[in-house]
Amino acid sequence: MNDEKQSSVLSEILSNGHQKIFDENWPMWLGGLLIGIMSVITFAWARPWGVAGGLRNWGDWFFSLVGIYHYKPESPLISTSSILTLGLLWGAFGSSLLSKQFAIRKAPPLELLKGIVGGILMGIGSAMAGGCNVGGFFTATSALSASGLAMMAGLLAGAYLGLRYLYWELEHLPSGTSGGTAVSKKEKEFDWLKIEPYIGAVVFLAAIVCAWIYNKNAYTRVGGLLLCGIAFGFIIQRTRFCFVRGFREPFMTGESDVPRAIAIAIIVSVLGFAALKWSGLRGENVYVPQAFWFGGLVGGVIFGIGMVVAGGCGSGSVWRAGEGHIKLMLAVIFFALSTSLFKAWINSSAGLISLMGYRVFLPNFLTYKWSLILVIAIMLVFYMFAAWNEETEKFVAEL
Amino acid sequence: MVEGISPDETLDCRGLSCPMPLLKVKKALKKLKPGQILEVLGTDPGSKNDIPDYTKKQGDEFLGMEDESGHTRYLIKKGG
Repeated sequence: MNDEKQSSVLSEILSNGHQKIFDENWPMWLGGLLIGIMSVITFAWARPWGVAGGLRNWGDWFFSLVGIYHYKPESPLISTSSILTLGLLWGAFGSSLLSKQFAIRKAPPLELLKGIVGGILMGIGSAMAGGCNVGGFFTATSALSASGLAMMAGLLAGAYLGLRYLYWELEHLPSGTSGGTAVSKKEKEFDWLKIEPYIGAVVFLAAIVCAWIYNKNAYTRVGGLLLCGIAFGFIIQRTRFCFVRGFREPFMTGESDVPRAIAIAIIVSVLGFAALKWSGLRGENVYVPQAFWFGGLVGGVIFGIGMVVAGGCGSGSVWRAGEGHIKLMLAVIFFALSTSLFKAWINSSAGLISLMGYRVFLPNFLTYKWSLILVIAIMLVFYMFAAWNEETEKFVAEL
Repeated sequence: MVEGISPDETLDCRGLSCPMPLLKVKKALKKLKPGQILEVLGTDPGSKNDIPDYTKKQGDEFLGMEDESGHTRYLIKKGG
């Protein structure tokens, strides 16, 4: 075989690979499986995955800069929470470029307003529940915290209420359109789509360089977390993994793909977390927030309404912002500001802190074995409920 | 595949993101008679999976989609 032929075969393999990975969205269940695995890897490396903590760090940092807070929060470049969320944004941005899906996506005024209001509600909800749908529900449940299950109930109720609002809005408010003018000046315009994959590759290379710089400066742990966050962003953008859909679809279309993916993610993740905690490799209280039951449940309801109105949860808003949606960029900004303020307010009063509830680590009451069985059983029931509802549409709300 | 089909109604969802396009499609399809055709213009990348999946699930016929300048055009035939 001559060299030329070899290189053409190689380029064909590369282009096929690119098409498989970047042209088609991956199946939802695969997203659940990979998120479960990444969640365990992240915890084993340094700490569990969270999103709202990073947003809060950015909010704290902003309020400190403008002089409202009189202390200096941890630098966003060093804070592990901040780095994980930055990685999520970074990974989603790079992945949407590689898939030619990045574009600055404008939205009509009502939609922008919904991004702001949804972001504020999510900020309040996650301050109460000790995290967003990731830290407060997904990771907390994996960490065998009772507050995660309380938040799950709240999220379901909140998603239903949020959907009722969307139905009302559809009948009573004109939603408007962004129109088609943005791209109509076609002539001579530079075709960004063609070079997006190359920019995407540079974005990922830059991340590796950053991780290397962290490593050189004795911040290997932080650099590794940046790569973990980027892996989450990449997986989530490619699968369009969306916790909102997991809680909204049972009431809206009845579809059960996402509830199944969430159940898979948590079952994988809880097994890994239990192994890390049971064996004593990680502290038992890690990601067991003081939020059972009031903070988790009520925070979950408020967060649930917010995420449906905004059209993205903690992770979902961040990755869609990375894909260029202006509405979700606003949601992320207002999420960060409101969660910072609300958390500062809760922390300023011992009464409010105790109102949020207790720190309940399930194995202290049920042993590890039964806690695991309980969490896995709840996930299976959640999936079976969704699959049954998909056939019967018993819980699907009529328009 | 979708060229040359003239729709009975057009729904402009440009600039809307998930789940608004799907909800609007759901509402618009309700008003159509079986056999009538709905054209949807959208910009949300998620719609490329959501609209075909949803219409098939509801027993409507998804006729196809194509990318035009700045948006994607979807055609759906209401089922009986």
